[in-house]
Amino acid sequence: MIVTASLTEAIEAYCGQRIFQAGPRLYIDGNPYHRPIGLAQLDRPDFTAPATEAQFLDPRQLVAGRILCSAYESDMILLPPNGLSSAKDDFDLFYSDEVRRLRDLIRPDLERFAFSFLADSVRVPPVRTLDELQAYFMAEVSAAGSPADDSGNNPLVDGLAPVKGSMRAITECRYAEEAAGLHLIQLALDALTEASAMARNLGGSYGVEQSELFKIFIDEFGYGVYSAKHSTIFRGMLASIGLRTDVHAYWSFYLTSSLVGTNYFNYLTEDHRGMFRYMAAVTYLEWLFAQGFADTGIMLRAVFGDRVDTKYCDEHAHIDIHHGRMTYEKLLLGFARTHGESVIPDLVRGIEETKLLLRLGDADFVAQIRWADTLAEHTTLGAALATAAADEGVAATLRPDDPFWTRVYDTDRLVAVTAGEVDVHAWATPRPHRLGRGDTLLVPRGRLHGLKAASSSATVRVSTVDRSEP
Amino acid sequence: MDRVVTMDLRQHNTVLVGHDRFFVFRADNQLQLVRDSCPHRGGPLSLARLTPDGRRLSCPWHGTRVGVAALRRTAVPMVRSGDQATVVLSAVAADAPVSVIRRRILANLPPERQCDTTA
Repeated sequence: MIVTASLTEAIEAYCGQRIFQAGPRLYIDGNPYHRPIGLAQLDRPDFTAPATEAQFLDPRQLVAGRILCSAYESDMILLPPNGLSSAKDDFDLFYSDEVRRLRDLIRPDLERFAFSFLADSVRVPPVRTLDELQAYFMAEVSAAGSPADDSGNNPLVDGLAPVKGSMRAITECRYAEEAAGLHLIQLALDALTEASAMARNLGGSYGVEQSELFKIFIDEFGYGVYSAKHSTIFRGMLASIGLRTDVHAYWSFYLTSSLVGTNYFNYLTEDHRGMFRYMAAVTYLEWLFAQGFADTGIMLRAVFGDRVDTKYCDEHAHIDIHHGRMTYEKLLLGFARTHGESVIPDLVRGIEETKLLLRLGDADFVAQIRWADTLAEHTTLGAALATAAADEGVAATLRPDDPFWTRVYDTDRLVAVTAGEVDVHAWATPRPHRLGRGDTLLVPRGRLHGLKAASSSATVRVSTVDRSEP
Repeated sequence: MDRVVTMDLRQHNTVLVGHDRFFVFRADNQLQLVRDSCPHRGGPLSLARLTPDGRRLSCPWHGTRVGVAALRRTAVPMVRSGDQATVVLSAVAADAPVSVIRRRILANLPPERQCDTTA
């Protein structure tokens, strides 16, 4: 751990790089190196004390998530599909000695900040033997709604099951297409660099488990056929409903939970002490994905009808039956057979941490779409709460070409427009909520949004509101 | 177009034709040149093992069980004269490279014992 002052300085130096500054556009096409981090939203960029589970949606987690995502991905090769052309300077900077030096300086402390809460929040059950591990795993996947089929080794998939949870929440939205789009954009964070974290665990020499992981990897990469690569068919799904397909085109619209969840897998694969947690986490997810992507396909068809290309979902609903079995039999149980009690607690911990991240992710996503879907109601609510503001607030003037970036607050806030008009972007798709002069929007803690002037100039005042007051 | 390929079975057991692969499969004391591609996802059936009953091959990629009879139906015409075999490959592009090689064929090993299948 580096001392506070130098950590802060190093983070500021990293975030101060040109590629991490915001530009005027909402979306970033053809430049996977340009990632507005929004460090300025923090009053004090102090990452020394680890975030707790209760602080999961705080702005420091969002900022740390953006930094760590960039740090991990600077170990991957990213190129824009239409050529480097104008992004060559940013390519050079993203992979430069200086940015990588700063990355290496800050990453361990940011990982400690971002992931320490997992150890504090997760209770690892006392599973020690192979038999106990089998029983534990089957109980967990059954509890998650994905029991084994009659063979006992494959995840059961019901392609006609009514959707529930966050998939159902999407279909219940007034702006269901925006909600479904936001969901796919969260998936895109990982799906467009498909299996890159997994790739970190392919090298070395670790027995039959290594070969099993490689088989899954080549499935993800379409057996070397570009059109069959999962990220390629994911792009087809995005394009079918008019979404952008470039890596991180929607960088500003990744929720905190999506960043933390994706970073978790890079974190475990970057440091090979995390490999057993990773293998168990992958097993648990691959098993759940079979039904999960069947549900996603049902949701997408319900929202978009025939125009959505669900090949990606259909592919995963099928192949993840195999991957669920392969990871369970050959990775989870394989490592337990080979290495025994010395690794079983780590395997279980990987599953428990993944369960927690999934739960937090679902809660974050559902809260976001419910808020974004009701911004008109939250404007009415904001007006009613305007007199309850706990402070004078902070005023800011916005202009249409100002840098656009998104943020969250660590407490509920009122955003009041005192002059001009302002667009609130809470969906990733171009359906902003327009606020006029005199309007006040309630922005609950942790809700991701960006503001953009819709008139030649606009002024907003952001104040704290305590809704727990009578 | 059809391509005629001659191979010495003492030295060769695999034919590569463009992106396609065939291997010499032994069943019922008969040698046949069959397609080295699982119907599920194209896995290499030459590296599959026979199930304990000897009636199916278990693909190494996803464990898909492919019937020996079904595999034999993919055989291309082959005429043997001693260790020399002449095969006829249909509908092959004129510029597709053809080569004969020797590789390890697990599909010709005795069936796996029951306990091997979960190893």
